[in-house]
Amino acid sequence: MDTATIRSIRELPAEENMLPGTPACAGCGGLLTLRHCLKALGEKIVIVNAAGCFTLLSIYPFTPFKNSWLYTAMACAPAGAQGVRDALDILIKKGKIEPEEDLKVVVLTGDGSAYDMALSSTSGAIYRNLDFYYICYDNEAYGNTGFQHSGATPFASRTATTPPGRTRPVGSQLQKKNLFDIWNSHRPPYLATISPAYPVDLMNKFRKAEQFKGPKLFISHTPCPPGWGFDPSNSVRLAKLSVETGLWPLKESVHGKVEHTFVPKKFKPVEDYLKEQEKFAHLFKPVRQEDTLKSMQEMVNGYWRRYKLLP
Amino acid sequence: MGKEMLTGNGAAAWGVRLAEVDYIPAYPITPQTEIIETIAKWISEGSMDASFVTMDSEHSMVTAAGAASATGVRVFTTTSSQGLLYGFEMLYTVAGWRVPLVMVNVSRGLSSPITLGPDHNDILALRDTGFLQIHCETCQEVLDSILMAYKLAEDERVLLPVMVNMDGFYLSFTRENVEIPDVGTVRSFLSEYQPEHAFFKAGQPMAQGVAVLGGEFYSYFKYQMHLASQNALDVYKEVCGEFEKKFDRKYGTIEEYMLEDAEYVLVMTNSFSTLGKAAVKRAREKGIKAGLLRLRVLRPFPDPDIKNALKGKKAVAVIDQNISVGKGGIIYSEIGGCLFNEKNRPLLLSFIGGLGGKNISQEEFEFIFDKIVSAVDTEIVEPPYLLYTENEWKDMTKLKETAGKE
Amino acid sequence: MLRLRFHGRGGQGAKVASRVLGTAAFLDGYNAQDFPLYGAEKRGAPITAFTRISRENIMERGVISEPDIVIVMDETLLSDPQAMPLSGLKKGGIIFVNTPNSPLETKERYNIADHVITLDITKISLDMIGNPVLSGLAAAVASRIVGIGEDAFRGAVEKELSGIISDRELLVKNTEAALYCYNAIMPVQIKTAESIREGENVITIPFEIALVSSPAINATGNTPLRRTGNWRVFRPVWDYEVCTRCMTCVARCPDGCIHVNEDGYPYADYDNCKGCLICVEECPAKAINKVREMHSRSGEGDR
Repeated sequence: MDTATIRSIRELPAEENMLPGTPACAGCGGLLTLRHCLKALGEKIVIVNAAGCFTLLSIYPFTPFKNSWLYTAMACAPAGAQGVRDALDILIKKGKIEPEEDLKVVVLTGDGSAYDMALSSTSGAIYRNLDFYYICYDNEAYGNTGFQHSGATPFASRTATTPPGRTRPVGSQLQKKNLFDIWNSHRPPYLATISPAYPVDLMNKFRKAEQFKGPKLFISHTPCPPGWGFDPSNSVRLAKLSVETGLWPLKESVHGKVEHTFVPKKFKPVEDYLKEQEKFAHLFKPVRQEDTLKSMQEMVNGYWRRYKLLP
Repeated sequence: MGKEMLTGNGAAAWGVRLAEVDYIPAYPITPQTEIIETIAKWISEGSMDASFVTMDSEHSMVTAAGAASATGVRVFTTTSSQGLLYGFEMLYTVAGWRVPLVMVNVSRGLSSPITLGPDHNDILALRDTGFLQIHCETCQEVLDSILMAYKLAEDERVLLPVMVNMDGFYLSFTRENVEIPDVGTVRSFLSEYQPEHAFFKAGQPMAQGVAVLGGEFYSYFKYQMHLASQNALDVYKEVCGEFEKKFDRKYGTIEEYMLEDAEYVLVMTNSFSTLGKAAVKRAREKGIKAGLLRLRVLRPFPDPDIKNALKGKKAVAVIDQNISVGKGGIIYSEIGGCLFNEKNRPLLLSFIGGLGGKNISQEEFEFIFDKIVSAVDTEIVEPPYLLYTENEWKDMTKLKETAGKE
Repeated sequence: MLRLRFHGRGGQGAKVASRVLGTAAFLDGYNAQDFPLYGAEKRGAPITAFTRISRENIMERGVISEPDIVIVMDETLLSDPQAMPLSGLKKGGIIFVNTPNSPLETKERYNIADHVITLDITKISLDMIGNPVLSGLAAAVASRIVGIGEDAFRGAVEKELSGIISDRELLVKNTEAALYCYNAIMPVQIKTAESIREGENVITIPFEIALVSSPAINATGNTPLRRTGNWRVFRPVWDYEVCTRCMTCVARCPDGCIHVNEDGYPYADYDNCKGCLICVEECPAKAINKVREMHSRSGEGDR
């Protein structure tokens, strides 16, 4: 894998390792993330997938990938990765396959798996220092089943199971879990947040991660047109807004030490991001929920203040 | 190697060692733990060349095992009871991948109430997954069955995982004489696993375990599993033949004990079959023409062998060490289905006993024979009988009083 | 019994249309059945939904492969080799097409022999509601064709749409637009012939080794065979006079459908481009135009 840092999108590898024709929604932010991740990782990988939208990428007899794939189940993709990695090591050690037949093992899960059901198997794999990549496409709900509340759902989001109503005008009343910190507490060699709108940042993070043996973990904030309620053409714009408002900090952690890789010069108001989406429409209509909006801005400010990065 | 005193768990570990398994993902649970402890010790001291990893749950353990098997190595893992159920989703999944994983289940009653003694509700919950099932009566059989299981699972006419079952406590913790074959003979019986259908390597990408949408496509894959499982009946017999040649021990899908001229037959599985055989002997001494049929292979279900063995018998009592709550004995139903279309089929009686490791006493076996004989005389078959003795009832009454029950 | 099949694109409202019709029939005293077909495809992909209406008990379940009436909510589906909205239509059956063209023009354009009814419900929804949500309008057309009374239909629209539209004003607009469509169509005497079933054999399937019969795919990168280009309502078309060859569109395409020609200009793989239009939105030079699919010529914008 090329490990040179790139500076612009013109330097992104031209090779496409995932072909078009998948059943993913038009404008899927997760798919855009994955496309760039696969450019970074190359063809010699095996994706170990958990139940989620991307289960449907490979439906018999079709696969978009030039690489190998194993679908496991919702709770256990990292355990599947353990089995594949260990088996490859055994085969190479015992001389049953040539070392050049080796593959990088890449877990691919949505937030429902990563934040909720697969926490145990993920913690186990990181703790065992499994040499693998983990890509979480986080669209902040159980998207494949119609957008129900997950551990990744942000405060005040409408989901199919947190519909705003007379007794619950806010929608989701819970805060999004901090998966970055949960994972970071295991002190993995490399951990980063990424965004489909920042492919150069994404590429450079994968290239940096390449030098480490052990868990290399990535969480991507991935706009979901049907779930969030916006026109598919705005997918990248929303991904950018989540970064520019400070809601989705782009950062990395090397052996537990956290650095931000992009700090907006001037933070846009969180409202700019919220008002673009049906899932937050109840905060503006029929009555503007001023206190909720203020508290959401304050949460973001609080985060950046902790890092002394708020101008 | 010669004979040793080994527990069922020890015998299982020896089977794994002699099969030269590459990879063992593990997770502890009583009464299985001695198996993985023994293997871990051998790997640590260098007498076994395999990789061992302790996983975070049985669900993860079965996943890692299946994934490693799908990558192309020989894999073993083991569990029991609650652990089997915790990994249940992945047992179906892994069977569907068509990988030749071999597992041992050490039977233990299922919660609630949580308990330690064996019965077969755990292993029988698996009967529709696609795993083949071999049930063992002795510690020797545990060792031998693991060797046979790999040969069976890895045959291209089969390619399904196999579960070898032994009773917790009665086999798992019980030492008895076990002949340990030498590794050279085992190698001549069981050759190296060389997958052609499921592997991961850079030169030949493959998407495994993919989604299938549409009932007509899903049906194809499921039917193929069934056909492969059916093939396993013949393949198993070939394996038994070769095993007998190499090791001079004879196995079948079923075991017939004093069955040839028997009129009254007990049907049993696993370690309590030994008690059943003793009861048959006692019944013979009293002039009852008794016999016993032990089911060794439960999946695929050996219908032809069972039909043949029970042909012309007057009455059959199935002793189920399991209970399908609201229906009764599971194996009773399966035997019933097997015999239904037979002309002159025997009367079929159902007894449920040995749940949670409860003993089946001599008196209970006598009770069973009384019921069989009288069923033949009166041509009345009574409903399923839950075996329980008066002394057991008295003990239970005391416990209830202590528990503060009125 | 009347069997109706709705063809739309994910997000257009075919499922809700089938429900509104089902409820309308129910309120009018019929036995009814309605259901969508869920596949792997996500938003934008062709989808189908179904309604059965009968005076008798309905003794059928599942997909309707031989409909009496087909409701085509998106005209582009008529030329889609995978959606095939007319497949299995019974002799004497009726086709409704959402189009500005007349029935005669539509019959000629798509070479249809059966009875065609047309109405531009997309225009009506844009004019009367403000956005192209077609559920109530398509249901209105279908209800009128099968002869359901206006009161029952109105009740059904209000009942079904109030469950998904919380904005009172928008609900009223939807109902008004639906009733407008209802009255723009005439009921039709439906005289379809019961089809004659072609017999098929029940077989015994043979065992095949796991190398053949495991659910694994040995081919790679074959999803382009699925041709998701048929999801598109608008296509991106590049103006090379304006394009600066900055590669933004190439980097932004989720599906990897934008390639670069030998002169360094981007072009789309229209066989697979789903028409999300992120490229149009993101182009810094505004060099990509959004062209309504039916008005573009195939090949336009290619290299």
